[in-house]
Amino acid sequence: MSIDPHRAPAAPVLSVEGLDVHYGPRRRRRRALHDVSLSIAPGETVGVIGETGSGKSTLARTILGLVRASAGSIVVDGEEVGAYGPRRWRALRRRGVVQYVFQDPLRSLDPDLTIEDSLAEPLLVQGVPRAEAAGRVRAFLPRVRLGEELLDRLPGELSGGQRQRVAVARALVTEPRLVILDEPVSALDSANRVQVLEILKELRADGVALVFISHDLGSVAGVADRIAVLYQGELVEVGAAADVIRAPRHPYTRLLVRSAPTLHSAPADRAEREALRTLLHS
Amino acid sequence: MVRRVLALPSARIAVAVLAVIAVLAALGPLLAPQDPLATSDNTLAAASGAHWLGTDYLGRDVLSRLLDGSRVSVLGSLEVALTALLVGVVPGILSVYLGRAFEWITLRLADTLVALPFLLFAVAVVALLGNGITQAMLVTGVLVSPLFYRVSRAATLAVARSQYVEAAIVSGASLGWVVRRHVWAKVLPPIAVALAQTVGVGFVIVSSLTFLGIGVQPPDPTWGGLLASDLGYLSHRPWAPLTPALLIVVTVWACNLLADAVRDVSGEAGRALLNNRRARANRLDKADPAPAGGA
Amino acid sequence: MSTLSEKLQTPVEDTARRARPPAPVLSVRDVRISDRAAGREIVHGVSFDLTPGRTVGIVGESGSGKTLTCRAALGILPAHFEVTGGSIELDGRDITGFSPAEWTSLRGSTISAVFQDPASYLNPSIRVGAQVAEVIRVKQKAGRRAARRRAVELLRAVHLRDPELVCGQYPYELSGGMLQRVLIAAAIAAGPRVLIADEATTALDVTVQAEILDLLADLRERTGLALVVVSHDLAVVAQLCDEVLVLRQGEVVEQGPTQEVLHHPRHEYTRLLIAEHEQYGLDRFLAPEEDA
Repeated sequence: MSIDPHRAPAAPVLSVEGLDVHYGPRRRRRRALHDVSLSIAPGETVGVIGETGSGKSTLARTILGLVRASAGSIVVDGEEVGAYGPRRWRALRRRGVVQYVFQDPLRSLDPDLTIEDSLAEPLLVQGVPRAEAAGRVRAFLPRVRLGEELLDRLPGELSGGQRQRVAVARALVTEPRLVILDEPVSALDSANRVQVLEILKELRADGVALVFISHDLGSVAGVADRIAVLYQGELVEVGAAADVIRAPRHPYTRLLVRSAPTLHSAPADRAEREALRTLLHS
Repeated sequence: MVRRVLALPSARIAVAVLAVIAVLAALGPLLAPQDPLATSDNTLAAASGAHWLGTDYLGRDVLSRLLDGSRVSVLGSLEVALTALLVGVVPGILSVYLGRAFEWITLRLADTLVALPFLLFAVAVVALLGNGITQAMLVTGVLVSPLFYRVSRAATLAVARSQYVEAAIVSGASLGWVVRRHVWAKVLPPIAVALAQTVGVGFVIVSSLTFLGIGVQPPDPTWGGLLASDLGYLSHRPWAPLTPALLIVVTVWACNLLADAVRDVSGEAGRALLNNRRARANRLDKADPAPAGGA
Repeated sequence: MSTLSEKLQTPVEDTARRARPPAPVLSVRDVRISDRAAGREIVHGVSFDLTPGRTVGIVGESGSGKTLTCRAALGILPAHFEVTGGSIELDGRDITGFSPAEWTSLRGSTISAVFQDPASYLNPSIRVGAQVAEVIRVKQKAGRRAARRRAVELLRAVHLRDPELVCGQYPYELSGGMLQRVLIAAAIAAGPRVLIADEATTALDVTVQAEILDLLADLRERTGLALVVVSHDLAVVAQLCDEVLVLRQGEVVEQGPTQEVLHHPRHEYTRLLIAEHEQYGLDRFLAPEEDA
C-alpha cells in the first residue's frame, strides 16, 4: 500500500454524509436538516453558522447521538454511529472521543456540585479512579487559565467567563479528538471572549478538531479554518473562512456578512441589507 | 441545608416544639403519673393537685391520658407521612425515566387517589381490615401519596431536561449515575417541605379518625379521642377540650412552620431572603451609626 | 466647558431641526449609584448629554454598571440600589424626588425603554395588538377603537410585515426579533423623546440584530428620537452612536465621539475591545478594505 504524498494521511474525525433529520410526530413531521454533508479533519476548526431554527443545534445533537437521523450516515472516529443503540453510544461516549460545550455555562453546570466535582465527572464516568481524576483535573486547569482556588466553589459563585472556561475544561479533560461547541462565546464579554477563543486556538494546535456553532460570523471568523453556512436546514455555502467572508456567494451569506457588527460599518451597508432581505423573503 | 434551615428563628422554634412532642411520644406513657385507664368515682373533677388537668367522665386522670395518647398520635402521623413518602417519591422520580407507559399509568393512579376522599376511604378500609390505627394510617398514607408523587416528579422533570444532565449523558453517564449525582440533591428540598407539611396533615387525620373512634379501641387514649369525649361534657368542664386541641394545633403549626422554613432557604427564594436581610442590616448600620440605644 | 455631544452638534447634516440650539432632553451629571445590600458604590460618576435625534452609546461588560445607569434614568433601580450622587435631568426637570405618579406620567411619554429578552415583557396570554393598544389607551386616553387603529400603525412603523395579522397573534407565535419590534412599538406609542435600548439586540440572531438596529436608526431619523444604546459589543454601539462611553467596573474609562474613540482609543480597555474585533471578528478580513 502506498501513501499519497500530496494528501494528509489523517482520516477525518467526523464525516457526515447526506444527513436528514425530522422532528415531531408522524402526521406533523417537520424537516430540521436536509442533505447535510460535512467532514472534519484532525486539528481543523469548522464554523457552522446559522440563525435560530436553521438546524445548527440539531446538527450538533445528531452528531452526539441525542437526536436520531432519518437518513444519511455519521462516522465518528471511524465508527458508523447511525444505527447505534443506547448501549453502544454509551460505550463510545465513555471513550471521551467526542465532547460537547453548551451555550449557557450556568445551566450546563450542576448548581449544587463544586467545580471540582463537575470537572471530574466525565473522568469518573469513564471509570477513572477518584484520586487520578482529581490529579488530572488539577493538571488541566492552567490550560483554561483557571486557578485551583476555584475548585471548591459552586458555579453560582463564578463570573460568566470563568464558568464558560469551566464548561470548556469539562469537555476537554477526557482529551477528546472532536469538540462540538454551541455558541461558546455568545454570552461572554470581550475580555472573556478573547480568552476562550485563544484557548480554542491552542486546542487546534494540539490536533483537536472543533465544530464551532454560532449565529454570528464574527465570533468564528478569528478561529475557523472553514465556514459552513446553514440556512433553513441546508448547507448553502462551505468554504475557507476568508473566502466566505470576503466573497460570499449565497445571498444569505452576504446578508450575514453585512449584518455582523463591525467597527467600520459603512452607511451604504444598510441599503444593501434591505435589498438582500427583500431578495431572501421573496 | 440543615444549618441554613436552623439559621431561621422560626425553624428553631418549630424544631424545639417538635422535639418536645417527640419526647412526649417516646416517654409519655412512662411520664404519666397515674394509670390512664383506671377509673374512679371522682368524675369530671376540676384541676387539682392530684389531677393537674382534672378527670374525665369516668374519673380517669386527663393528664395521664394525654401523655399516654401522644405516642399513638405521633406515630400515626409519622406513619402517614412516611408511607406517603415511599409510595409517592419512588414512582415520582421513575415516572420521568421509565418510559411513556409507566408514566401514563402512574399519573392516572395518582389522579385516582387524589379523587378519593381519604377520611371516608379510611373508614371503609378499617371496616374491611379491622379496627386498627396502623391499617387506617397506611391507607391514609397511600391516599395522600400523590402529593409526593407530583412534587418529586416536578422536581425531577426540571432536572432531567437540564443541560448539565445532558452534559453528563454526552460524557457517557448511565441513568443511575445521573439520578445519584444530579437528581437527588434537587429533589430533596421540595420533598422535605412536603414531608413536614404531611406530618402536620397526618396529625389532623389521626386526630380526626380517633375523634370519630376509628383506629383505636375505646379505652385507649388518643388526643383526638380525648377531644371528642371532652366535647360531650362541655357544660361540666368548659375548658377541658382546650388542652388536647392546643396540643394538636401547636404540633401542626410547628410542622407547617418547619415546612415554610425549608422552602424559604432552598432555591431562588432562599437567596432573595438572605439578600434582603443583609440589605436591612446594612441600612440599619448606616441609619444608626452609634450602636448604643436599642429599638 | 461644553459637553462632547454639543461639540458634535454640527448643523451640516440635514434638517433645520438639528440647527436649533440643542437643549438636552436627557442630561446625566456625575451619577453615582450604590448597592445598599453590599454597602458599596457600583457606579462612580457617569455624565452625558443627549439631544434630540442623537445617540449615546454605553459599552461595558456585565456588571460594569451600564444597566444600572439606564435604570436610574428610568427611575426603576432594583431593590437596595440608590442614586447616591450627581443628578439626572429629564426634559429639563431633575428626577430626584419625583413621586411615583410623576414617574408614571413621564415613562412612556418622555422616556421609554426596551430590554433584552423581549418575551418576558409581554403577557403570554394576551394578543400582542391588545397589549400595544393598552399602552395607547392608558397613555393617550384614546378610545378602544382608536387605540387599536393606532396599534396597527405602530406595528407597521416598526416594519412588521402584515401588522394586522401580528396584532391578533399571541407572543409565543412570534420570533424574538418580531417580539422586540412589538416592544419597540409599545415603547414609542406615547411619543417619547428618549428611548433606551439596553442590550435590546443581544439575544437575537445577527441578521435580526441588524434589522432592529436599522429600525432604531430609521426611527431616529424620522422622529428625532434620542437614543441611548447599551451593549457589551463595541461594534453594535459604533454602528449607531454619535458619542460612546466605555464603562468598566462602574468607571467611565473612555468617552468621546465614536470615530475618535475607534481610531484613537486612549484607555487600554477600549484598545482591547477594538483588538477583539480586529483579531477575532469580521474586521480581521474586512477592515483593511473599508478603511482605505
